[in-house]
Order: sequence, then C-alpha cells, then structure tokens
Amino acid sequence: MLRVPLHKALSLPNLRQLSPALRGISSTPVQLEKIEVFVDDKPVLVEPGTTVLQAAAMVGVEIPRFCYHERLAVAGNCRMCLVEVEKSPKPVAACAMPVMKGWRIKTNSDMTKKAREGVMEFLLVNHPLDCPICDQGGECDLQDQSMAFGSDRSRFTDIQFDGKRAVEDKDVGPLIKTVMTRCIHCTRCIRFASEVAGVDDLGTTGRGSDMQIGTYVEKFFLSELSGNVIDLCPVGALTSKPYAFTARPWETRKTESVDVMDALGSNIVVATRTGEVLRILPRLNEDVNEEWLSDKSRFACDGLKRQRLVAPMLKNENGELTAVEWEDALIGVAKALLRAGGQSAAVAGGLADAEALIALKDLLNKLGSEALCTEHTFPQDGSGTDLRSSYLLNNKIAGVEDADLILLIGTNPRYEAPLLNARIRKTWIHKECDVALLGPKVDLSYDYEHLGDDTTTLKKLASGQHPFNKKLSSAKKPMIILGGQQFGRQDAAAILAAVQQLSQSLSSSNSDKEWKILNVLQQVASQVAALDIGYKPGVSAIREDPPKVLFLLGADEGTITRADLPKDCFVVYLGHHGDQGASMADAILPGATYTEKQGTYVSTEGRTQQTLAAVTPPGMARVDWKIIRALSEVLGESLPYDDLNGVRQRLTEVAPHLTRYGSAENANYFAQAVELSKTVKAQLASTPLDVKLKELQDFFMTDAISRASPTMAKCVQAVLKQKTSKY
Amino acid sequence: MATVKAASVVTRQVRPILSLTQEDSRRRVLALYKAWYRQIPHIVSEIDIPKNQKQCQEKLREEFLKHKDVKDIRVIDMLIIKGQMELKETVTKWKQVGHVMAYWKDTVNKKPTDFLGKFLDGKD
Repeated sequence: MLRVPLHKALSLPNLRQLSPALRGISSTPVQLEKIEVFVDDKPVLVEPGTTVLQAAAMVGVEIPRFCYHERLAVAGNCRMCLVEVEKSPKPVAACAMPVMKGWRIKTNSDMTKKAREGVMEFLLVNHPLDCPICDQGGECDLQDQSMAFGSDRSRFTDIQFDGKRAVEDKDVGPLIKTVMTRCIHCTRCIRFASEVAGVDDLGTTGRGSDMQIGTYVEKFFLSELSGNVIDLCPVGALTSKPYAFTARPWETRKTESVDVMDALGSNIVVATRTGEVLRILPRLNEDVNEEWLSDKSRFACDGLKRQRLVAPMLKNENGELTAVEWEDALIGVAKALLRAGGQSAAVAGGLADAEALIALKDLLNKLGSEALCTEHTFPQDGSGTDLRSSYLLNNKIAGVEDADLILLIGTNPRYEAPLLNARIRKTWIHKECDVALLGPKVDLSYDYEHLGDDTTTLKKLASGQHPFNKKLSSAKKPMIILGGQQFGRQDAAAILAAVQQLSQSLSSSNSDKEWKILNVLQQVASQVAALDIGYKPGVSAIREDPPKVLFLLGADEGTITRADLPKDCFVVYLGHHGDQGASMADAILPGATYTEKQGTYVSTEGRTQQTLAAVTPPGMARVDWKIIRALSEVLGESLPYDDLNGVRQRLTEVAPHLTRYGSAENANYFAQAVELSKTVKAQLASTPLDVKLKELQDFFMTDAISRASPTMAKCVQAVLKQKTSKY
Repeated sequence: MATVKAASVVTRQVRPILSLTQEDSRRRVLALYKAWYRQIPHIVSEIDIPKNQKQCQEKLREEFLKHKDVKDIRVIDMLIIKGQMELKETVTKWKQVGHVMAYWKDTVNKKPTDFLGKFLDGKD
C-alpha cells in the first residue's frame, strides 16, 4: 500500500547523492500550464494532476467521501465520491481521477445523486443499525452522509432472517475499541498506520463481503500515534476505549487549549462535562501538529483526576502532612520564608506555566534570592542561555518538511516528540530527505544512517573529518536536531559547542541565509519559557548552596532529593499531583493542571501558546500564580499584579514574545553563540550518547500527569505483554 | 416648534401615582415614617427578634435615609407604597421572624474585594 521512493524501497543509495549536480534541477518545480475545468458550470483553473475532488474543493463544493483523506494516500475504494462528468458514460471516483482539460463535472446531477444513493444503500446493507449504542453517534460520517445523500428507503429485507454481515471484534490494545461489524472498509486506518505512524501492523484479509480489517495475527496495534485512527475512522468501528459509553459529542463543552505532555505544544480541544475532562482531541494547526496527536497527550487526561492534591497541607508536630486551611498554609510558608531571609530557592518542573514562573521569580527576587532553577539542565559555559538560538528548535517543526538531510544527535524523536518524528517520516517518504542518527540505535519508524553512539564521532563531525561531513556539506538544506536530554551529561557544554560549531560551518557555506541548521529539541513544555524568563537551567546552584526554604514548582523528576538538602530545609511543593515532589515536602500548596488554568507555554520551536481553563481546579486547589501572589501578600511583599492581565503585562515587560500568542519568535546570533562556544574548556567524555526513551513502554509515563493515569499504565502493560507474544 | 409642543404635551400627561407636588410627597413620607415609628414597640414585643426598640429605630432611619437622594415624585410614591406594604406585612405578621431579620442582613457575608480575600474565598 505504501509508496516509498524507489531508491528507498530497493535500499539503493540515493541517486541524487551520487550526482550532486542533479540536485539543483530536481528541486525546482516545473511550471506546467494550468488547465480549465468546470465544476457545476463554475470555471476553475487547476494544475495538471489535480483530482476532481480537489478541483471541486477549490470552488467550494465538497464531494462526500469516506476513504479519501487529504493527509493519506488515495485509495479510491469507498466509491462515495462518484460524480458525473459530461460525456463520460459512467460516473467517476472524484478522489482518484485527475481532471482533464475542459471537463464539466456535475456534483449535483441526477446521475451523481443516484450513484451516491446506490453506494449508501450498499454500505448500509452491511452496516449494523446500532447507532443508539454506538460511540461515534453524533460525529459519524456515515450517519451524516446517509442523512444528506442516502435514499429514504432500502431494498434490504432479510426475508430469510439470517441477519446482516457480522465480523468478530479484534483486541488491538488498551486504547482502541473495535467493533468490526461497523467497518465500511475505507482503509484509512491501514493507510495511517503504514504511512504516518510507520507501523505496518494493520491490513486487510479476504475479498468482497468477506473482507476484514485487522492485524492478521492476534496482536496489539501499538504505536505512539495509534489514537489518531479513532479520529480517522469515519464510522464507529474504531473508537476510544477509555472514552467508551461516556458522553455524546453534543453534551460536552469544548475548550481550545494546548498540550503540555511534550515540548511541541500540540493544539488540542478539551471536551468537558460536569467539571470533568472527558477526552482530549487534536486541533488543527498546520505549523505544529497538523491534525494528529500523540497517545500520551490524548489519553493521559484520566490522570488529571487521580492523585490530585486538593487541599493545602502542612507537616504537624509528628511530621505527618495534614490538610489545613489556605490561611494557615500561607502563614506557615510565609513564616518559614521570613526565617530564611534571602536563603530561599526554587526548582521549576516541566509543566509550569509562564505566569507561575514569573510570579515565583518576582517573589524570590524580592526576598533577595536569585536561585531559581529549572529541573532540566542546559550548559552555562559559552553563551549559556543568553542567546535564545542555542536552546530553540530554530527551524520550526514545519521547517522539517523542507529539509533534505536531517542529523539527529542524542535524541529519539519518536518518543520524545512523536509529532516531530511524524513530520520527519512524512518528509522522508514524500520528499528526498535522508536521516542520520548519532546516538543509541532505536526504531525511528524510518530508515536512517546510524553513525554510532560514540562522542568521538561528534568530535570528528565538528572538525569536518568524518565521512558524513561530505554528505552534510553537499546537502542544500541540512538540519541538525540535538536532543535536550544530552544537556544532563557532564560534558554537555562540549556537546553543545561541537554541534554549534558543526552547524555554523555548514550554514556559513549555505546559500540560504534564512535556513537554520542548529535545532534543539527540548524535553518538557515549560523549559523554553523558563529560560526566556531567566531561570537558571539545572539544579547545581541549589546543590552548591543549599537554601533554607526550597520551592518546588511542580518539580517531580527527583533532581533534588532530601539528601541534597540540609536537615532543617523547609520544602514547599506547589503543584497539582501527589508525586515525587509532594512526598518530600513540608508544605503543599495545591495548584491547577493545564486544563484548569489560563497559562502561557512556549514550545521548543519558540511558539507562544496559551491553555484555556476547561474546568475548575478540584477542591481547594488554586491557579498557581495566584497562590504565589497571595503568599507574597501574606509576606508583606505584595507582587504588583492582581489579575491575569497584570501578570501578562509583567511577562511582556520581561520578554514581549511571551504574550504574542500563536506566533513563533525567531532567534538569532548564531555566529556570536559559536564564537562564545569556542571559549568552552570542557572536553567530550568517552561515555556513549544515550537516550532515556528507547522503546514504546518508556514513552507512556514520563510526567506527573501521565504517571497518575491508569490508561497509560495499561498501555505500558500492553507493550510488555506484546513483547512476550510470539508475534 | 412642533416637537417642543409635543414634548410639553407628553410631560403634562404623566399621571401622578399619589402625590401631586413635592410637598405632598414629603408629607406622605413623614406620615409613613411616623406610622413605622409608632409601630416599633409593638413589633419588638410581638415578634421574637433579638433586637430592641433602639436598634429598630436606627434601622428604620437607615432604611429611609437610603433613599434620601430620590427626587422623582413618582419614584418616591412607589417607595411609599412599598413601605406601606412592608409595614402591613410586618404588623399583620405575614412576615415571620426571618423576614423581619432580613432587614439587618446578618447572615449575608460581604463579598471580598481585595486579592487575598478573594483568594481565600476561592471566588476569583
């Protein structure tokens, strides 16, 4: 089914790589003469090769379809898009037929209508009448289209009482519920799995009315993007298992928001009812997630109501955390802060929003402390975090599609940022793009050149002595993506410096000055905003100078433990889940999750986006920045903002891009960063480059929310179970 | 000219509710005040409320002074009618203890207006 370029299918070396001279020719699109066609007598000029369906869409006529999907290959098997073309004896399938000059397409003629009614009748003859108990009800393409285009009567009588076609259901894992009798064989799920997800597990068996969609053998359909087949399925054959029988789409309130499970900032829609998040669906954003969403972002939402901190807590004289009133908690924390004088510090976790980050920084700065750190590190040598270009995915996520050579260093984008990986795979399939990986050998869902995981390779690359340098320098649009995890290494500064130098040497010889070669893939949603605001990356400052009061702003990765702190250190946890951070705290101030507050997040590409409050925080939990603001008032050091606009104004003062929602601010000063990186003294260590998330079971539980999610736990179990299966 | 004339016709045609002049309405207000004032000892003795005569007189004065800036005769008349209704309801004991006590709004907490108050209330 999947069409890959010939050289890839035959695993030949890229033809263009052999002859760099050809490169310039093939990348310039050949301007072909446009042809004129008429859709319902409306003339439209289209490129040759445009399908009837696309031409109709250009004049605003939507032709009904089941199997056609604009992001997947054309299958042309549902026949719903049949339309009449003048002087053609038979109706043509609009999704697969390229237009010819002067065609007159009739999307509303009697022949078209009759064709649609006929297709609809055939589909419904083989489709169960279980709409009242079907989870797709209300968002079902078959339901909608049978109302719009179907016949009002059927010739299906079943006089023998032998029932309709019935197909056995498949167990494809803990996320997707299958009711295969409802399947209309559009093969969207198969095409998605093999093209986008890169997991060739789904396929068809049998022919005609015996045709079945399935995994051939009894096995789970496990992928980091598997949830998207639920959205793709036009009927109720594939539905969400955790959401089964929960709500109808018209009962839920939808709030447009942003995902925080990875650093990409995927756009989402949060569906809520009665103060509860029921499900999360992707929202279209061509620059970020297209219309896909990773499984963690989609299904970890049941972790939002488990393990929650719902009341402020203080340790009593027995050393047990007990629930107290807000007043007592604030006074308790304020007392400790006053006792500490300026000796306080803060660690910001991966889910913190920019509002909370700025409020906490302002408060501690007022108290005379500068020790505000993030959990995830970044080398401070050279330019450090002063130049934004050193810690952003400068070329943007959508920029991947223009790349012709991608070098991944110390990262496994498949599990660190599944939708970035989907982009790379899309580019790899549809365009002439090669991928190389320096790091542990992992399954990226596409072929790549493995350069080993040795740091000496990186050294050689930086000095231009590696054989791969030739490829890099002959590439027109190379991209280097450095995994944020490598900054946790001892020799992080040397790694960053080497990558910066390599990128700079490539970009100085690159003709396209707008093309950015250096890209950093951050691990968590809050990191870029925290660095923009001026947090110090890494907790080493706290280890060296242990504070008397330590704030953990959702810091749950255990980078600072009790062992790193003096005995009398008062730990305040401000966050939403009872995870690692809360377990070591002396005081707990319950905060809000990303679905409960209007918060600003900056994605790894530097795009500022905001979440909107879909539900209210549970129990006595409050929005994070308000807790800090209230604490400041109790301390007598009131922060000068009372409402969200005030905080955002303060954010704008610090960095104007933090409130320019939707846009990704470009970073610059690459050359200067490289100059400064030459001052880095650190040497590359001999330990090989490693990544934490190697396989699918590592992907599901990575933060406080997903660790609290039973669905994610089931996913891990399913992956482990699949490993023991003989398939 | 025509519009001015029409306007004057309209003003002349407004129907009075009770009082025809400012003086007239003032007299009615004072009459209502006195009626309430004379009734207070009976209210205190017959309805079981934890208030004494003095407190009731203060409240009466407060309720009247609430509308001290009302100048429109028709509005004043409406307030007089409502005041009479209230008085009748109180005297005939159609009002129960809670209704009478509602004048003092003991149980109504003031909404906080400062940040910390709103935060502690959870009403922000």
